Amino acid sequence: METGFLKKLINIIVTKDNEYISDKSDEELVNLYTEIGDENAFDEIVRRYANKIYGFALRITRNSSDAEEVFQEVFLTLTKKLDTFRGESKFSSWLYRITVNASYMYLRSQKKHESNISLENYYPYDEKGTLMGRVMAKDWSSRPDIIIFSNEALKIIDKSINELPESYRTVFHLRDVEGLLNEEVADILEISIPAVKSRLHRARLFLRDRLSDYFHEWRR
Amino acid sequence: MFMCKDVVENIMGYIDCELDLQTLKELEKHTGDCPECMAFVNTYKRMLEITGKLKDKPFVTPEIRNRLRILLKSKVKPA
Repeated sequence: METGFLKKLINIIVTKDNEYISDKSDEELVNLYTEIGDENAFDEIVRRYANKIYGFALRITRNSSDAEEVFQEVFLTLTKKLDTFRGESKFSSWLYRITVNASYMYLRSQKKHESNISLENYYPYDEKGTLMGRVMAKDWSSRPDIIIFSNEALKIIDKSINELPESYRTVFHLRDVEGLLNEEVADILEISIPAVKSRLHRARLFLRDRLSDYFHEWRR
Repeated sequence: MFMCKDVVENIMGYIDCELDLQTLKELEKHTGDCPECMAFVNTYKRMLEITGKLKDKPFVTPEIRNRLRILLKSKVKPA
């Protein structure tokens, strides 16, 4: 009997047990689905990534029904193109890239354009380069965790992220919400690492200011 | 001379421990002497803690998952 066939057969038997499926790497799941059409493997990919993909699509489109359209499109694309995944980047990076492309394509088809304002000149210091009178008066860092991590504060930060221009929003989401590395974000968005760092820096400055305004107002 | 502006522009490197020793020393010295910068660094760190909490936010409801399942079943032929 051919070794390849035996391996496939073993995989089929092993993957009958979902405990084994959940232990497999993304790349192993891709192989199981593309080589033997194992639907459990595909279900596991959906289980692992559904929330991340929907969350990212929502971050780009800022609309839940648009996000669901993109979300569905991404997994449909995946069923058709999973066999084109070559493992040159991490599977998650490849999937995020599909999501970015599907989101942009969807927004274009809906003629939903967003003006991409630059935050390059956004900084908290004055023209002399000092923060004098700009930060301390609104220092909220020692507020109790119950306030800092309240649902309302989380809603404010979520809303503020959505106020960021799209190119900053996507970088911020992947880097600070999803916790990807600069290199991974650069790879997904096909931009340079310095561009990732620059956008992330300005996005964080903008969001820190928004939170300061919120907590300052809240105290009144 | 190290200024508030330099603290702001080096904050990412500071958080990621990527600053060279000289810049790190200057930043820490300035921040120690400047309450505005101390507040800036502290609020910046707290902001990162808050945004980190967004990662666990559930987006996909059982209804969304079910609609996806139905769609995939209707459009994807078994391999």
